[in-house]
Amino acid sequence: MADHPSTHGDSGREDEFPELVEPEISPRRSFLRAAGFTFAGGLLAGCSRAPVERAIPFLEKPEAITPGRAYFYASACAGCTAGCGILAKVRDGRPVKLEGNPEHPLSQGRLCAVGQASILGLYDSARLKHPLKQSKPASWEQADREISESLAQISRNRRGIYLVSNTITSPTLRRQIGRFLDRFPGSRHVVYDPLSSSAILDAHLETHGARLLPRYRFHKAEVIAGFDADFLGTWISPVEFAAGYRAGRSPDGPDARFSYHVQFESRLSLTGAKADKRVVIAPHELTAALAHLAAILSAKANHTVKLSGFGPAPVPDALLAGLAERLWEARGKSLVICGSQDVRTQVITNFLNHLLGNYGATIDLDLPSHQRQGADRDAEALLARLKDGRVDALFFHGVNPVYELPGWDAVAQTIQRIALTVSLSGTLDETAELAHYVCPDHHPLESWGDSEAVSGIVTLVQPAIRPLGKTRSVVESLGAWMGESQSTYDQLRACWKQDVFPRQSDVRSFEEFWEQSVQDGFAKVPPARRQVAAFRMAAVGNLAGAARARQQGAYSLALYPKLAMLDGRHAANPWLQELPDPISKITWDNYACLSPAAAAALNVKDGDVIQVEAGNGSGRAVEAPVLVQPGQHDRVVALALGYGRKVTERFARVGPEWLYGKSTVGPNGRVGVRVNHLLTFTEGALEYAGQPVSLRKTAGTRLLAATQSQHTIEEPSRLRAQGIQPRPILRETSFHQSRTGSNPSPAHEEEDLWPPDHRFSKHHWGMAVDLAACTGCSACVIACQVENNIPVVGKDEARRHREMHWIRLDRYYSEEGGFAVAYQPMMCQHCEHASCETVCPALATVHSEEGLNQQIYNRCVGTRYCANNCPYKVRRFNWFDYRREDRLQNMVLNPDIAVRSRGVMEKCSFCIQRIQEAKIEAKRRGVPVADGDIETACQQTCPSNAILFGDLNDPHSALSRLLKSPRRYRVLEELNERPSVHYLALVRNREET
Amino acid sequence: MATVYSELRRPLIRGEKSTGEVTRDISLPLERAPSLGWWIAFLAAFSALSLGVAAVAYLFSTGVGTWGLNSTVGWAFDITNFVFWIGIGHAGTLISAILFLLRQRWRTSVNRSAEAMTIFAVICAGLFPLIHMGRPWLAFWMFPYPNTRGSLWVNFRSPLVWDFFAIATYFTISVVFWYLGLMPDLATIRDRLKPGLRRTLMNFFCFGWDGSYRTWSHYETVYKLLAGLGTPLVVSVHTIVSWDFATSVIPGWHATIFPPYFVAGAIFSGMAMVLTLMILVRNLMHLEDYITPDHVDKMCKVTLVTSGLVGLAYATEFFTAMYSANRHEQFIFMNRAFGPFGWSYWIMTSCNLLVPQTLWFRRIRSSLGAVFLVSILINVGMWFERFVIIVTSLHRDFLPSSWWSYTPTPIEVATLVGSFGLFFTLFLLFLRLVPVIALSEVKGVLSYGRRLKQGDEA
Repeated sequence: MADHPSTHGDSGREDEFPELVEPEISPRRSFLRAAGFTFAGGLLAGCSRAPVERAIPFLEKPEAITPGRAYFYASACAGCTAGCGILAKVRDGRPVKLEGNPEHPLSQGRLCAVGQASILGLYDSARLKHPLKQSKPASWEQADREISESLAQISRNRRGIYLVSNTITSPTLRRQIGRFLDRFPGSRHVVYDPLSSSAILDAHLETHGARLLPRYRFHKAEVIAGFDADFLGTWISPVEFAAGYRAGRSPDGPDARFSYHVQFESRLSLTGAKADKRVVIAPHELTAALAHLAAILSAKANHTVKLSGFGPAPVPDALLAGLAERLWEARGKSLVICGSQDVRTQVITNFLNHLLGNYGATIDLDLPSHQRQGADRDAEALLARLKDGRVDALFFHGVNPVYELPGWDAVAQTIQRIALTVSLSGTLDETAELAHYVCPDHHPLESWGDSEAVSGIVTLVQPAIRPLGKTRSVVESLGAWMGESQSTYDQLRACWKQDVFPRQSDVRSFEEFWEQSVQDGFAKVPPARRQVAAFRMAAVGNLAGAARARQQGAYSLALYPKLAMLDGRHAANPWLQELPDPISKITWDNYACLSPAAAAALNVKDGDVIQVEAGNGSGRAVEAPVLVQPGQHDRVVALALGYGRKVTERFARVGPEWLYGKSTVGPNGRVGVRVNHLLTFTEGALEYAGQPVSLRKTAGTRLLAATQSQHTIEEPSRLRAQGIQPRPILRETSFHQSRTGSNPSPAHEEEDLWPPDHRFSKHHWGMAVDLAACTGCSACVIACQVENNIPVVGKDEARRHREMHWIRLDRYYSEEGGFAVAYQPMMCQHCEHASCETVCPALATVHSEEGLNQQIYNRCVGTRYCANNCPYKVRRFNWFDYRREDRLQNMVLNPDIAVRSRGVMEKCSFCIQRIQEAKIEAKRRGVPVADGDIETACQQTCPSNAILFGDLNDPHSALSRLLKSPRRYRVLEELNERPSVHYLALVRNREET
Repeated sequence: MATVYSELRRPLIRGEKSTGEVTRDISLPLERAPSLGWWIAFLAAFSALSLGVAAVAYLFSTGVGTWGLNSTVGWAFDITNFVFWIGIGHAGTLISAILFLLRQRWRTSVNRSAEAMTIFAVICAGLFPLIHMGRPWLAFWMFPYPNTRGSLWVNFRSPLVWDFFAIATYFTISVVFWYLGLMPDLATIRDRLKPGLRRTLMNFFCFGWDGSYRTWSHYETVYKLLAGLGTPLVVSVHTIVSWDFATSVIPGWHATIFPPYFVAGAIFSGMAMVLTLMILVRNLMHLEDYITPDHVDKMCKVTLVTSGLVGLAYATEFFTAMYSANRHEQFIFMNRAFGPFGWSYWIMTSCNLLVPQTLWFRRIRSSLGAVFLVSILINVGMWFERFVIIVTSLHRDFLPSSWWSYTPTPIEVATLVGSFGLFFTLFLLFLRLVPVIALSEVKGVLSYGRRLKQGDEA
């Protein structure tokens, strides 16, 4: 360093970094050299082929595609096996929302909460993007080669394989599985449903000689007797059932009709909440109640079948006699349904329906449902074989038995030891983790497919986006292992050409039929009529005195699916996790529901952790926080399935992180606790309810994140002023009263002394919410969340009452005249005299000339005065910058709506983007906006058609006509806020006194 | 020589002070190094302030979610603190303006620090509307300043905008009034300094006061005019603050009684704070001759009267609710007294109604320790009054589905502590920087020349 140039100063720097290599030449030269190199490098880089980045889509615009316009592709929902037809809304190449296909006979344009939320699964960053071998990434070539080799080995040894799946409604996939399994003699396709209805199928095998699930037609039923079947919430096909139920309950107009619905149940379900009469009985009393009902009815029908030996009737005779009378009067127009997993009980149910002549009327056996095909017996047998080590190859598709079924955690080692285990799951679930190979399936929105959920209606599944990862459809995977290379599309077409097309005769050309089906999203093709045997009385005769022997315990267990979580397959979906359960109003957890009396007996309150133990010290126990649930049987503890899944570990980091924020996950690192090990296989069926359990209080507590703290409209009695009417928030009437127009409390209307603040010269948007129709199913909440980019806040924020949903379902219990439940969807009321508007100092919330109360996010400074001054408390404040770090998940954001920043107020906008879109379209076409052109997201999805949006200025609009109903009222009318949202009073089919 | 005083009109300043002695007594603390006691107090206050600064910094960086608020209770500690501090400020204006116009000459011993208290309290109060915003960096959107946004301006129908005007006016007038009264005293301090930088500075700050007849004449005129201008503010500021609540629709807020109720409460709490501070200053600064038990006695009487007014307002609210037969209104008051936040209601009533009743007794009024305790309890009670009004009205309003509770987070508590830190830091600096008693005014009420000969008493 002797020739260190003296011109180079800054000796301090030299001291700091003694190893610094000094340039040998003067800085000027080095600068020039560096500059020259950079320049040359830049030049060279410019000459090379840069990777093509398509920042602007469609530089050459394809025909019929306009950037910024939404396109809808007809497909089928894969949220559950109900197979509702959907339209996938695609904006600039990415699906952003799912809506029911209005033409589809099952969904009729509607979708449930799970269906609405299922789009987020497409953008789940935890979805597998390539095959796995022993949990390590592998290529498809390698996986295919090795699986084929193993299969060849198995074939040489003349051994069979087991393919375990849930209900498969796709004819193409069923065909492909059949072809695949045929290659291996002795193979079995084991089908089970985590939420099983196999007893219904088994019962029909006994009574009608065919193992099938009938299609229930609620719209034809005038009297409905439900026995522990939550058909409006979670049972089989809730969207279709809710629509049918609603159709049978239209209290207005000249052709008004209103079915009478009795629900017998042990815990409060959504269906029970809606029933005209709700009878609380324990799960094991169902059989006796049905048997006594059947005895009364068979006497009426002059049958001689004896149905004794089921013990005394668990409910008063008069009640059963009254119900029997009503059912008998409505022969052929009644419906008895039962959710029990006991075949005997289901046989009695079938007998009842037979006595009432409901088969062929309200129950369709000719065109049965395929929505549940599971045979629990097969799943039980497979487990036994696995334990014996008599299984050589296992394939899993659409199921996760290690999580879902009891006893499978014990065979984890076995599963890993057998010759070949392949999971076709799209995510690394509990079962896929054990599999040798995971060959991930596409998301249904990425793939071709079909679904025949109900005989005669074949829905097409078409891709709405290219696969996001290197996934492959199951049809192709099975094909590859058979040495075929046909694409799913080709397979689908082949299947349709062979099986579906010939079932119809209207269209001659297959191409024409195909094109039409792709456009419609489904094809109505009656299947070859299946001969269903007449009712076999012998099946009933066998029952006499054969009540299932049951152990009696202090409490009996009821395992139930929660509306949003179902069997847990969507546990990774934060929207569904954060959706308040419509009954308990609790988010992000499952819990042990106890009746108030049971909780008092155990000396526990909400949040105290109890241990629920089944099977007398067999170690099958679970610890869960208590929720005191009114309306539940005093001897029943209810626990929700679908929780405690491994995929929920990701939610440890959901919601804002701050000094006093708490994690969303529980002490087990997951959301909720798994209860599936409490399930049992009893007489060949998965038993959800009725098992005896013992309860023990533990020292622990766990905070539950409820979104509602006051459960009645009545104030706490201690604080209630004497002689004051209850708040007129939720009005109720009976069908009789609404028919005769003797509405007890007519709408409060007073003349205003002052001229109106706003003159609505063109439109005046308004809404009507029919409380008689609303079931509380919460589809609107999720639809709104998807449509309006509403953030997920996590359990701790929900617990702090900072959930962001723009529409909420207020659930009120009432004790007056028997326990009853009522729902009231509550969103911004768009008041004409809005108290929020006057108090905003920055004019960030103003009234539009079309009657909308508008929130201008850009202008909002966040004083929260508007929210304080809102009598309906519908405004939601962005307390933090909510996480939007998952770039993939952000793809689901609606590009028509801003994502709100921290410190800004937000609320329902009546889906202003939809209003604008319709107005622009009308203007483009030079026509006025027609009534019905605009549907808000909540209205669009509502399965029971409870919400109607429209123009109050147009006297002929459907809304204006509906508001002539004597049931119309506005919430808190006495404040004279003049809301634009009107409600129609709740109607129950009560006995008149 | 024994001095005999009239029992009826005792001298306002004790100790037979001459004007020179007064100047010396009051100026000395400013010229000496601060005492150990001052340092301890300052350190405590500054620590509290630092805690508050840290809490607010965290609030700004993370969001209002760091407070315990929720969708139902959108305001709690923030606006409680705001109204509390605004109320504290009221005694200053009352003493400086109204008592001046009413020629209550006892005010001279306390008006300087009461006015200073007002200014510092308004500073503390003014911070809360700023920091409670979701986006405080856009706070200037609340000001009606000329801008390029066309017709988009502030909403003159919003009480929050009225608040801005009321508080800005109040703060301006208070500062000007305080500073004007300070000018002759600053001149006195200047005259005691040796020539140099400090003297030049003082000369600048007292506007080159020359003590001439004309100067005094102008000074007195302006002072009287400002007192006249300030008087309506005593009523207006808290009236407008009360409209933040009264113009809303929320039961428990929407009440026509709010303006007088709030004004009485403000004077009540302000007087209590003046008592707290004066008793402290008297002992710490050895101003026993200037702030006498007679001063305390008079302020106690004002406190007692305003306590009665506040009590009347509480009773009226309940009566209105009962008489209105309005179910929401009735419930909110039942809930206020017996609901989940009932404890805060009972703290409020006991501190604001029961405790001041002790002031009927001369023995209590003349015991500085007892008065100090009472004044502290009133401060606590008045803070809870605002908490009760805000939180109990919001947490259970019209739709029972939205009823919720409220628990403050430590961040909010730290912010409240920080506001006290700011207040006392400023007040302690005030004690060191300007004469704590209005020299020129107090000289006008000295007892010389009023001395009576022995025997004249009869």
